[in-house]
Amino acid sequence: MPAMTETHPVEDSVPKVNDELAVGSDLEFQRRWESVEKTIWIFLIIFLLLSLLGFFGRGPMAKVTAKAADGSMEVDYERFERFSTPSVLTVRLSPSAIHNGKVEFWVGENLVKPLGNQRVIPQPDKSQVGNGGVLYTFPASEGQASIEFQTQPSKIGKTELKMRVPGYSELDLNIYVFP
Amino acid sequence: MYTLLHAVLGYFFLTLMIRILARRPGAQMTPFEFVLVFLVGGVIILATVGDDHSITNCYGGVIAICLMHRLVGRLKQRSPRWADIIDGKPILLLQNGEWQTSSMKQAHVDDMDVMAAAREKGVRTLDDIKYAVLERNGGISIIKKKKS
Repeated sequence: MPAMTETHPVEDSVPKVNDELAVGSDLEFQRRWESVEKTIWIFLIIFLLLSLLGFFGRGPMAKVTAKAADGSMEVDYERFERFSTPSVLTVRLSPSAIHNGKVEFWVGENLVKPLGNQRVIPQPDKSQVGNGGVLYTFPASEGQASIEFQTQPSKIGKTELKMRVPGYSELDLNIYVFP
Repeated sequence: MYTLLHAVLGYFFLTLMIRILARRPGAQMTPFEFVLVFLVGGVIILATVGDDHSITNCYGGVIAICLMHRLVGRLKQRSPRWADIIDGKPILLLQNGEWQTSSMKQAHVDDMDVMAAAREKGVRTLDDIKYAVLERNGGISIIKKKKS
């Protein structure tokens, strides 16, 4: 016995124009959809403008400089970063932080993960893990010293990053990583 | 894992973007629409697969997209409302010798687009068209006037 095919009678279900052409157009739907489209475009343009300004990373509003309360260091960083996108955090240490031809710098473990530290420039003489972070020791001569951390965030969301020169005041940074 | 999530998000994001484009790339593709299709496709693929170009990752992404397409297709079939939101409705562009100006403006279609579709049907002039309809697939259907 051949298999039966399911069927149902044809109905005049598509609205007609001038009672002769089944198009199914709907002016009321068109008008409503146009206003929905306009609203979505307004949001998208706002998103684009905020993006250009850097509110989602990589723009003028993302780049900021923070300074320790006692002036022991200044940090240039991006407060808005993007997931898996390279970023640079530059620390400028004041001459007073240099002792006996070396400078010590402690940074919280969040720099390693989730901020994904890839590289430290210059190479430290020593790096010591512990106390919830990494203590770097760099050779230094007189004058201001700069350290650059190249990062690539591996987690989306807010990350707090603490750093200090031992014996000086601590600097807390809030970094927001966007998808 | 990320690729699957990105593929699903990308699918809905692209569906939304194409839906609000007004002049959608479909049957009436001009070089203008080709640029859009290639560029958008190229950009979204970067966010979908990321750094992992392995077969497992890429095939996973393809499967996720196909699955979404199937699910959305089923949703459209079950709910005409969803079908209207996702695909839109046909738009009447020309009716009995009159351009439907506001509809044409909304759809970003002009008389040249209509005439191009008409020529494909062997219609020589705009006067010979009774109805022109912008279909949900982006194509323009032409209904000729009956010869008296």
